Amino acid sequence: MSLFAGPSFAQIADSSAVGRFQLAEGYIRAAQFDRALRLLEDLHAEYPDTPAFYDRLKSTYESVKRYDEAIALVERRMKAAGSSLEMQVEKARLLYLKGDEAAAFRLWDEALAAAPKDRQAYRTVFESLYAVRLLDRAIEVLEKARDLPETGTSVLGELAYLYNMTGRHDQAMQAYLDLLEENGRQVAFVRNRISRFTEQPEVVQTSIAVVEKAVRQTPLNRAYREILGWLYTEGRDYRKALDTWRALDRIEKESGYGLYQFARYVADQGAYDVALEAFEEVRLRHADAPVAAEALLGIGRLHEQWAEASGERIAIDDATVEAAPHYRKALETYQLFISRYPNSDQYPEVLRRVGALQRDVFFNLDAAEMALRQVMNSPVSSPATDQAEFDVGRLAILRGDLEEAKLVFHRILERLRTGELAEAARYEIARLHFYAGEFEAARTLAEAINENTSTDVANDAIELRVVLIENPGPDSLNTPLRRYARAHLLNRQNRPREAMSTLDSLLTEAPAHPLADDARFLRAEALRMSGRYEEAATAFGEVTAMFPESFLADRSLFYAAQVFEQDLRDMEKAIAAYTRLLTEYPGSLYESPSRARIRALRGDGVS
Amino acid sequence: MKYLPAFALLLSTVPAFAQDVLIPMDERQTDHLKAYGAAFWVIQGGEPVDWLLNYRGGSFLLPGGSRTEQELRIRGVSFESLGGADAARIIAEVEREGANTAVVRLEKAPRIAVYAPDQTLPWDDAVLLALTYAEVPYEMVYDEEILEGKLADFDWLHLHHEDFTGQFGKFIQYRSMPWYVEQQRQAEEAARRFGFRKVSELKLAVAHTIREYVRGGGFLFAMCSGADTFDIALAAEHTDIVPAEFDGDPVDPDALNRLDFGQTTVFENFTPVLNPAEYEHSDIDTGPPPPQLRNPALDYFTLFEFSARWDPVPTMLTQNHVATIKGFVGQTTAFRKSLIKPTAVLLAEAPGRDEIRYLHTSYGEGTVTFYAGHDPEDYQHFVGDPPTDLALHKSSPGYRLILNNILFPAAKKKQQKT
Repeated sequence: MSLFAGPSFAQIADSSAVGRFQLAEGYIRAAQFDRALRLLEDLHAEYPDTPAFYDRLKSTYESVKRYDEAIALVERRMKAAGSSLEMQVEKARLLYLKGDEAAAFRLWDEALAAAPKDRQAYRTVFESLYAVRLLDRAIEVLEKARDLPETGTSVLGELAYLYNMTGRHDQAMQAYLDLLEENGRQVAFVRNRISRFTEQPEVVQTSIAVVEKAVRQTPLNRAYREILGWLYTEGRDYRKALDTWRALDRIEKESGYGLYQFARYVADQGAYDVALEAFEEVRLRHADAPVAAEALLGIGRLHEQWAEASGERIAIDDATVEAAPHYRKALETYQLFISRYPNSDQYPEVLRRVGALQRDVFFNLDAAEMALRQVMNSPVSSPATDQAEFDVGRLAILRGDLEEAKLVFHRILERLRTGELAEAARYEIARLHFYAGEFEAARTLAEAINENTSTDVANDAIELRVVLIENPGPDSLNTPLRRYARAHLLNRQNRPREAMSTLDSLLTEAPAHPLADDARFLRAEALRMSGRYEEAATAFGEVTAMFPESFLADRSLFYAAQVFEQDLRDMEKAIAAYTRLLTEYPGSLYESPSRARIRALRGDGVS
Repeated sequence: MKYLPAFALLLSTVPAFAQDVLIPMDERQTDHLKAYGAAFWVIQGGEPVDWLLNYRGGSFLLPGGSRTEQELRIRGVSFESLGGADAARIIAEVEREGANTAVVRLEKAPRIAVYAPDQTLPWDDAVLLALTYAEVPYEMVYDEEILEGKLADFDWLHLHHEDFTGQFGKFIQYRSMPWYVEQQRQAEEAARRFGFRKVSELKLAVAHTIREYVRGGGFLFAMCSGADTFDIALAAEHTDIVPAEFDGDPVDPDALNRLDFGQTTVFENFTPVLNPAEYEHSDIDTGPPPPQLRNPALDYFTLFEFSARWDPVPTMLTQNHVATIKGFVGQTTAFRKSLIKPTAVLLAEAPGRDEIRYLHTSYGEGTVTFYAGHDPEDYQHFVGDPPTDLALHKSSPGYRLILNNILFPAAKKKQQKT
């Protein structure tokens, strides 16, 4: 912007004065203040009414901390042009910078006393005080301005901010509430301002107390409740936040969307009980609104999350199945969704989730297949379709229909050719050959997967290949390997008792076969799957004790420790087993997780 | 089928223990940083540790025992069990005439304070990261505690990205960010509480107190802007170098002439940067390399070698398994050599440049160590970047230099020949 564009220079007629002024500016930029001041003093003497010269001279005095001269300049100006509030305030500020605080405060006070009803006077004094960071004094001035008639809300934002800056958070909140009372659309502004301070828990708690009182006094003010709900959430008091959002939903006769968003947020925070209540509220109050379907789906997902977080598992020992209440509720919820919302975009994915739960958690294979086939046969193709077909193939394995499984996986492979799902299908075909005792075919396919090391199944394929290479014989039929493959399949089909029986036969018939360590390890896994945890821990321990050089030795020790920790809840033995792993298998892949578990169990607070 | 009583086997532990344990600090160590914490833990437990200077990267020799060995395993620190004869052979080798190696006995765990605000700031603190990862216990102190005399409770004071000049780190472009607002609020409130008109006055009082703590025998380690602003603030005791944008009044026009370098600990004859918009405090910092050279692959610095026998302190401070360390940028990236007082011992430099990265000096009865740069494992750490995960940098040579500082106050003082 040109220096000469403003009104300050309107009175400059002499071009040499302009040149001298520019020279003075140059001296200031070069930090040659004495030279600049000489020029500016001359210019001001020659053109005492030119504001630009006066302002620059004053600011230059201030720059070099020659406050007395700056003050004298202001005083001369006051005498010549008559005292104004602005000049009085400016003099006060310079006096403060000079260190004469008493005189400064007196002048500021006098300025206000002279214009006690002038809102602009208060603002001028406030800005002057704020410039020298006299925040408490600035607050006092704004408070007086606020109490003037007709001031309205114009100073409340600044006042609240200053309260927060000086730690007076209750007053800050009250000022924001006053602002919201006048204009309820300022909720976002207020939230944004307060959020600068909400890292401090005391700010949140103090603000909550103030807003709670306001809500009690003015229960129908939507803005107050919105702020209160947000503050509760910031303070992680989700129960109270729910009450607030619930009340808002009722008072405002909303569509439930705000409550739904809240439910999703707290579900992600792990507050499952509160989230569930919020979702249910949305469903009950807005059964016909579009958000009801979303809420129902939210409940299903929430129960799945909840089940995973609480470690729900199904263990089979004969016919014993653990309760798994949240998985059960998830299933029921998804089924309800399917019946209520058959035209929803989410329908195929929900159906697939039903199939997955039936298969993986409840082992209800018929129900799983029915759901998955429904997805597959859906006239509308969706991303869930291919995955559902893959799931059907795996289901066929669980049922023991290996030929059907093979057909399904081949179909997927031919259709997709490449990608994660295609490689997963290839791996499943390799495993099917393995289960069938077709070891050459299994090995060829496993090697093909190994060529693409970026896929998720590459490591599994390597492991399969190693088992196939290392464990042939002793007879031409590879009987031990066939039994081992059979046991593997049985374990996968959730038939651990039969798997154990097969493995026992293997170990009795060929106790010295290279597969002995793999067989014992698999047997230990079957025991754990059956819920026979004591025996499982012993069996894992045997692998390490009997085959200390086996590649499964460290893994067995780690699994034993996990059984102690997670299933038997015997932390002392868990620590002992983890420690033994560190001692005997330095460099093991399980070293780092073992160390982390020991530290967690000891309560070290480090990883 | 019968199975062995594997429960007993499972829980049985290891064989008999050797007498001593060597924690190698050369390339064979799997977690150099945790090794410092382990040594500290042993000293804390009342056992002495021998620091074998210049022997296999500055290894530690500790009394063995099942508890110690188990703890080392749990912390992931590599060690070698030694018989009595092996330990004696190593000591003899380290103390051999003509070898630039020495044994320093560490006996008393120093009490460490870290100067840092409670407030979470959007950049990482390499000092806190190093101590936390290594599991070296420390207490946090800040302006209030220092002015209330709490430093007397500690042997060590560590600090990192600080601004003792009272310019809030010169982060003026972030002035509306919540963390800046909060930082300013807390600082101004503290200043008012202690009767100061400005934050710069509060910070000067803090710097004074720290300097007197060092003069009385305390140890100060500072990194990044915590190093140079400490001396800048002390030099500006009788003037005002803080622009109005930070404290409401302008800088003293005669500020440059009124700097008093007699007040400083390490730097002299420097020129503060008085432009509030320039993210730089003075010409002490040489600044980051020019853009064409600002490349982690090209930026490195080298450690000086000292006589382990005659200069044990600089030797301790430069123990490492490498001699060349990758560079890293910070608000203060490197110290300009020409502005360092001749009394300071230079510990590391960027070769071919007028840049010192690491230095040490005695001050009164205590010592001061300054280390330039922000985060040894994050070449250019920006505001808002996530903190470095030291579990991914277990052998960081740059972080080792920070941790060397925690142990030397534990050294038993020997009568020096010079």
